[in-house]
Amino acid sequence: MKGVVYQLKSVWKDKFCIMSFLLPVIVALALHVSGGIDLSSVAEFHFGGLEKDLSAQTIVWLERYGSVTLYETEAELIAAINEPSTNLIGVETDGNGIKTTISGDELDIFRQTADTLPAMDRGKENAEQIGVTVLERPDLMDGLQHIFTAMTLIVAMFMGCTFNAMNIISEKENGVDLVNQILPMSRSQYVIQKIFIGFAGGCLSAVLTACICFRLSFWRAFLMLILIVLSALIAALAGLVIGNCSGNLMTGVAIIKIVMIVFMAVPLLSYLLGTDSTAAPFYYFVPSTAAFEGIMYLAEGGKGTITKDIVILLAHCAAGLGVICLRFPRIPSVFDKQ
Amino acid sequence: MRGNFCSLFKKDCQMMLSGKFFLIAFGSLVLYTLFINFGYLHFANAELYKVYLYDPQGTQKEASELIAPVASMEELQAALLDDTNGVGIDASSGKPEILLYSGSEKADRHRADYALSLLHPGDPYAAQTVGTNTREQKQRKEMSCELLFIEMTAVGFLGVAAVLFKEKQMGVIRVHAVLPFQKGLFLISKLSAFLLSDLIFAALLTVCNVGFSDMEVLPAVLVQTAILSLVMTLIGFGCAMLLHDFRQFSLAYLIIVVFAATPVFLSANTSIKMEWIGWHPFYHVYMGLKNAFFGTPVDSPFYYICFTCGIVILFRLVRSAFYKEMGKEG
Repeated sequence: MKGVVYQLKSVWKDKFCIMSFLLPVIVALALHVSGGIDLSSVAEFHFGGLEKDLSAQTIVWLERYGSVTLYETEAELIAAINEPSTNLIGVETDGNGIKTTISGDELDIFRQTADTLPAMDRGKENAEQIGVTVLERPDLMDGLQHIFTAMTLIVAMFMGCTFNAMNIISEKENGVDLVNQILPMSRSQYVIQKIFIGFAGGCLSAVLTACICFRLSFWRAFLMLILIVLSALIAALAGLVIGNCSGNLMTGVAIIKIVMIVFMAVPLLSYLLGTDSTAAPFYYFVPSTAAFEGIMYLAEGGKGTITKDIVILLAHCAAGLGVICLRFPRIPSVFDKQ
Repeated sequence: MRGNFCSLFKKDCQMMLSGKFFLIAFGSLVLYTLFINFGYLHFANAELYKVYLYDPQGTQKEASELIAPVASMEELQAALLDDTNGVGIDASSGKPEILLYSGSEKADRHRADYALSLLHPGDPYAAQTVGTNTREQKQRKEMSCELLFIEMTAVGFLGVAAVLFKEKQMGVIRVHAVLPFQKGLFLISKLSAFLLSDLIFAALLTVCNVGFSDMEVLPAVLVQTAILSLVMTLIGFGCAMLLHDFRQFSLAYLIIVVFAATPVFLSANTSIKMEWIGWHPFYHVYMGLKNAFFGTPVDSPFYYICFTCGIVILFRLVRSAFYKEMGKEG
């Protein structure tokens, strides 16, 4: 207990450490206050035309499907079509109908849209008489918004990992690690003291982030708490292992870098590609996949439970503790008795 | 002076070599190349919505081949439930009716009208193309540009700081105070070593991923890489001088990654446009790099004057912090 208090004191002196735990909370606040990022423009099409060419009627018709930007000259229009960050479709009047222009490097969805737009223009009178039944499903944009929040939460949990790894590496660099090895302290005491700050900081940071971002019922909040605690524990354990494996600062940084990319990319990939692919079970070897899946599930308000994710996280915790038992040698039994 | 610079430069290269800086950069290069060639090019594509038609009486004779016929209403509903972006047409009553799961308002309208247009497709039409890149070329250039930017702002920056913090902790910086060198040489040699390594990295990444056929973009890419590399190395150097240890640096690093790189990526790669992004210096470098990859390098002298002034100011600030650090030993 004394050791934990000492660790807390040393963290309290290190204002940068406190701020790094607060950073995800600040990002969450910024996301919350700004109402998130307006993603509605991502899902719609972008059309471009010449001011003197497109009739008001065509513009109104195009605006049913997306945004329309008008350009003064053809060169400007072609430059906008070729601009690599957008997928602008150029529209020109062609007799009674329209013709379309694309850059040729777009994804198939934009090419096909441009190919079919003149036919849609010809059939627009018929289209108005047809009945359309729209079935309800959760808003797609909400899902995208939740990805940002879930990623912020994963980063918040990951802070514990970075902190612990850096802590051990800096102790190795300045020799404190050698002193630790002869301290009258059992292995479990040592491990608890070392993971405590990273774990508690990661938990606190993630809980605050979740409180800001989500309004959950009591049961869901409880499930979220379990997810957070387990994920923060895994991150803290991972940090300890990384710190222990790294011989110097540079190796530590490299490993943290790889682990951070994997922690963030794999859940995203698994979410975007869906769980039907053959690689799906392998994604769960990265603990953040289960955490991300659980967070998205709770945020989207799905029915049922997240038992599978919790069990996977528990398995990762057990595996992490196992690795720590192997990596950290038992300290001579004379200390265990004290 | 030249001899002094050469010996300092050699020492810096050795330091980077022993700090596994080159090994990590090479590992990143292999990882990025594998990702672009075996991952991104295969996954990143999106097709237009599928259309399902339930037409038991065969009333829709002109229907396009792109429409998938289904045998029953249940099958239509199951297909839509499975593929919620798809559009269903129920023509069982003789008059077509559209059935779809809601997405966004404008996309829904497009989906419905697109499905109807497939019932009377007319002559096949292909949009006119005005660009010179194919989809694969664009994806290769886009991803190479993004990864080069990430490597320099987020990943390589960590390496720069790690090497500098190591020297600081070893006391190398203070030793320089008593060496018979011009003091600024230490900084210039560091900048040169990192600049050279970044330029080689950028050249290899471009050659491996954009290919030899588009090599005319390389000089412009290297110019933008040099600007970004100098800015990032100077920021890294500044952080190493001002902050106490590497752990403190991890916060500065996070701020740079989260607040500097994310809005730039959002603005530059998606149609999300933030009004204030024009004030973000990294946005201009990123766009400069992207335009260089796409063969339309920035030709405004204002851009180069601004960045030259910026780099000179940063250099002077970092140099004064460096002198202060050297003088601490007293």
